[in-house]
Amino acid sequence: MKYSYTWLKELSGTKKKPQQLASLLTMRSFELEDMKTEGKETQLEFSILPNRGHDALSHIGMAREICACEGRKFKNDFLRFYLRMNHGMSVDIKDKKLCFRYIGAVIEGVKIGPSPKWMQERLLVSGVKPINSIVDITNYVMLETGQPLHAFDAEKTSGKIIVRRAKKGEEIKLLDEKAYELNENDLVIADSEKALALAGVMGGFDSSITGKTTSIILESANFNSTSIRKTRSSNNIITESSHRFEREIDPNLAGMAMARALEHIRKVCGPKINIKAMTDVYPKKIKSWKISLNTDYVNRLLGEKIAISKMKNILGNLGISVKVAKNILKCEIPTIRIDLKSQEDLIEEVGRIYGYENIKEQSPVSAVETPPENLKRNFESELRDIMAGLGFSEVMNYSFYGKEDIDRCGMKEDSHIEVSNPLSSEQQYLRRSLVPNILKNIELNLKNFPKVQIFEIGNKFCNDKGEYSEGTILLGALADGFAKDALFSKLKGKLESLLDKIAVKDAEYQGLNAEYKFWNPSRSAKIICSGKKIGRIGEIHPQVLAKYGIKQRVAVFGLKISALTETKLSKRHYEAVRKFPSVKRDISMFVGEGIKYSDIKKKIHSAGAKLVLGVELFDIFEKAGEKSLALRIEIGADGKTMTSEGIDGVMKKITTALEKELKVKVRK
Amino acid sequence: MLKAKISEIRAKSLDEIKGSQDEKKLYAIKVKYLGRNGELTKILKSLKDMEAEERRSAGSIANQARQEIEKELQKRGKDLDNQIDWKKEKIDVTLPGEKNEIGSLHPIALVYREIEKIFSSMGFEVVCGPELETDWYNFTSLNFPLDHPARDMQDTFWIKSPKEKMVLRTHTSPVQVRSMEKRKPPFRIIVPGRVFRNEATDATHEHTLHQFEALMVGDEVNVGHFKYIAKQFFSAFFEKNVDIRLRPSFFPFTEPSFEFDISCTVCGGKGCPSCKNGKWLEIGGAGMVNQNVFTAAGYPRNRYQGFAWGFGIERLAMMKYKIDDIRWFESGDLRFIKQF
Repeated sequence: MKYSYTWLKELSGTKKKPQQLASLLTMRSFELEDMKTEGKETQLEFSILPNRGHDALSHIGMAREICACEGRKFKNDFLRFYLRMNHGMSVDIKDKKLCFRYIGAVIEGVKIGPSPKWMQERLLVSGVKPINSIVDITNYVMLETGQPLHAFDAEKTSGKIIVRRAKKGEEIKLLDEKAYELNENDLVIADSEKALALAGVMGGFDSSITGKTTSIILESANFNSTSIRKTRSSNNIITESSHRFEREIDPNLAGMAMARALEHIRKVCGPKINIKAMTDVYPKKIKSWKISLNTDYVNRLLGEKIAISKMKNILGNLGISVKVAKNILKCEIPTIRIDLKSQEDLIEEVGRIYGYENIKEQSPVSAVETPPENLKRNFESELRDIMAGLGFSEVMNYSFYGKEDIDRCGMKEDSHIEVSNPLSSEQQYLRRSLVPNILKNIELNLKNFPKVQIFEIGNKFCNDKGEYSEGTILLGALADGFAKDALFSKLKGKLESLLDKIAVKDAEYQGLNAEYKFWNPSRSAKIICSGKKIGRIGEIHPQVLAKYGIKQRVAVFGLKISALTETKLSKRHYEAVRKFPSVKRDISMFVGEGIKYSDIKKKIHSAGAKLVLGVELFDIFEKAGEKSLALRIEIGADGKTMTSEGIDGVMKKITTALEKELKVKVRK
Repeated sequence: MLKAKISEIRAKSLDEIKGSQDEKKLYAIKVKYLGRNGELTKILKSLKDMEAEERRSAGSIANQARQEIEKELQKRGKDLDNQIDWKKEKIDVTLPGEKNEIGSLHPIALVYREIEKIFSSMGFEVVCGPELETDWYNFTSLNFPLDHPARDMQDTFWIKSPKEKMVLRTHTSPVQVRSMEKRKPPFRIIVPGRVFRNEATDATHEHTLHQFEALMVGDEVNVGHFKYIAKQFFSAFFEKNVDIRLRPSFFPFTEPSFEFDISCTVCGGKGCPSCKNGKWLEIGGAGMVNQNVFTAAGYPRNRYQGFAWGFGIERLAMMKYKIDDIRWFESGDLRFIKQF
C-alpha cells in the first residue's frame, strides 16, 4: 500500500524523516517497496504482509506500528466515537454468514462538488484518484481506517437495503461500466427491486453518486473474506475494497469509519446536511480475546533473555492490554488484530519489535551423529560423475511439453498428466518421457557443435488410467555425424562402461516391441538385468527426428534410477587373481541372417562351460555379402595350467556346438 | 716379430671398436681386421706356411686375438643397439594434446553438491520428496487454510486429477511434514528439489526453479540457532565471513517468520553496485515451525521447537558464477553448460 508520509507523521507524531522511517519499518514491520518525494510530501510504499491486511492497510494501522517501533503507545481521538442511531432505515441481511455487520445511513442535503485540496492531495499520494466530494470521503476514510465504505444515490434506490446472494444469471453494471453476470456465490447489496452493488467489491453504475445527487445512503459494512475472495476472482475484479475485505477486517471497525465519514461530510458538504436515518445491524458482536503468554517460552523460542517488563511494554504499545502474573503475561487482544491467535503470534510481535538483529547467534547443542545417507541422491551424484567422465554434459529441462510433442513422438495423450492452468499450450502436459525435450536440446546444439553428447537426470510422470506416479530417469543422448552407422554401437559402448562402473553385471539387450513410437524399430532394445527391465537404448525413429528438424541419427538410452538402485546393490568384492595362466584363442565365423551375437556368446559359454573365462568381439566385417565375426575366447582352468591338447579340445567343442546349433560357419 | 704384430693389431682394433659410434663404422672395423682380406685374417692365412712350432705358438696368439676382437665387436654392437637417437626423439611439447571428451555438470547440480556437502558436515540428512504433490502436503498441512489469500503468495500449477487435489509443488516444504511423519525429534534435514511457480519467464523469473530447504527440530531449537547455522552455511559457501540479517515476514507454516538477508558477498556490507548500496542481499525465507505444522504431522502441540528455511538455488548459482539471465539454466544450451 502507498502511504502519505505527512499523514503518517500527523497520526503517529514521529520525528523521523521518510528515509529513517522506511528503514525502521523495514526492519521491524514491513518491507519498503518504493519511495517518491515531491515537495514536502513523500509517498512511501510498503508491501503489507498477508496476515496484516486486517489492520495495516490503513494510515492509522501504520501509525500504530510506527509508535510501537518507536517505543510509544498510539493515541488518537478517533478511537473514541459515538453513533446516534435513528431507525428510519431498514436493512435486511439475508445471509448472516456472508455479512457480519451493516451500518447504513441516509444523508440528505448533500451537495456534490470537488473535495478539498488537502484531501485530494492525500488521495493522490496514496494512489487513489479524486472523483467528487462524497466518493473522495469514502476513499479517504478507507485509507485512514482500513474500512472500505460505499455511497449510493438514495434517489436511485427504492425500499429497504437487502444484503443477499445474487440470483443465478442476475446481471449488474458496475462502476467500471461493464456488465457482469452473477451467480449464487456472489453477494450483492440490493434494494427491493434490483442489485445495487457487488458487496465489498464494487458499486453499481446505476446507483452511483453523480453531480446531481442530493441524498445518499452511506454503507459501512463487514463481509465474509472467503466470499469476497471467490467473487473477486470469479469476476476477475480487484479493488481497494476487495483487497481489504478478502484479508478479513474487524467488524468493529465499521463504527469508527462511519463516524469519521460523517465528520468529514459535515465539514465538506456543509452544515445543511441531515442524517435522516441510521441503522446498525450487527447480530454477533466481536469481542476481544485473551491469550496467556508464557514468558519463558518467549525466550526459549527466540533464544534470548528479554525482561518481562520489556515484553509487556512491547505488547502494550501494539494496543494489547497486558497483565503480569508471575512469568505469565495475560494478554487481551484488540479485535483489530485478527492475526494474533496463539502464543507464537505474540512471540513474533515481541521478537520483531525487540529487533531480530539483537538476537545473538548460538550454536545448537546436540549429539554428534553421522546422518543416514541418502542412497538415491548419492547414486545420482555418482552417475553424474561417470556420465561427465564418458563425455556427456548435463542438461536440465522443463518437466512440461505440449500436445505437439506427444503427437510428434507418437505417444498417447491419456497416458499423460495434464496441468489445469498451463502457462502456454507448450507446457500443458507433464513429461511422460525425457526424450522430447532432449530432442529439442539436440536440435539447438547441433547448430553450434558437430557432436552433441548430453544427459539429464530428472523425473517423468505417468498416468496409468488415473493412477499417477513419478520416477527418476537417467537419460543419455548422442548425436555424432562422424559416427554414421555406428552411432548405436558408440552409445552402447558408453552405456556398457557406465553399467560396469556401477557394478551392474550381465545386462541383456532384447529388441524392442515399440511401446513408444519414437524408437527406431530396427535399432532399439530393452535393457534387462537379473530378469528385470532397467531401461531402454536405441536410435530415435528417423521420422520423429525429422519432425524435430534433426537431419542425422540420434541415439538415446534411458535408465530407471529406482531399478538401478535395487539391482546395483550387489556390492563389489575382491576375487582372487588367477594363479594359473589362461590362453586366448581367436575364432572367426560367417554368420547367417538373424543370428544374434548374444546367442553366439551364450553358446560359447555353454559349450566351454567353466573353462571359458571370457568372450570378446574384436572385429566384424562383410565379405561377399556374408557377415563375419571375429571373437577372442579366453580359456583357462582353476588349479592347473591347461595343456594345448586340452585347449584344442575345448575349442573343438565350441566349434561343433556353434556349427550344429546355430547357423554359423567357423572359418578354419 | 709376428707376435708383436698380432699384439699391435689387437690393441689397435680394440681401440677402434671402443671409439666406433655407429654400426656402420663397427662393420668397417670388422672387415678391416677380420674380413677376407683383413689384417688379422692375413696373418692367420700365412700361418700354414710356417714351421710347426712357430705356427703353434703364433697360431694360438692370433686365434686368441681374433676371439677377443669378435667378442668386443659383439659387445660394442649390443651397446650401440641400445643407444637412443635423442635427436630423432625430439618433439614439440607445446603442441596441444589429442582431444578427449569430458562432460560438464549443470551449475545447479554443482551448487547442490556444494550445499549438501556443507550441511552434511553439520550433521544434516539429505531428504527428497515428490514433485507432483497433494494439496494436503503442499498447502493444507503447512497451515495454508483453504481459500486463503496466503495461497496467492505462490502461483500454483494445478493438476487435472480424478482423485485427490494435486499440484506441482510450489516449494520443497511439503517434505517437512512428510519427513516429520517418519522421524522422531531431534533431527536435522535438508531438502533439495525442483519446484514450480505459475509465472511468466523473463531474465529474473522462471516457472521451474530449484530450491533448498533446511529443517531442524528438537526440544529447544531457537531463533539464535537458526542465525548461527545460517551464518555457518553462507560463510562456508561463499568462503568468506557472511553476516545474517532477519526481517519480519509471513509464511503460514512458520511463526515467527523471517526474510533473511546476507551481507553483500561482493563488498562485505560496505555498499556497492552489486547490492545497489543496500549492503544486504535478499536470499530467502525462514521461521520457527508453526505448531499447526507439527500437529499436522502428528506431533503433540507445543512439545517441540524447530526452524525451517529455504532459498532458491538459481539465485545462489547466479551470484556464485555471475550468471545474468535465469533462463540459461533450463535452456539446454551447451554453450552455457560447457562453461562449468
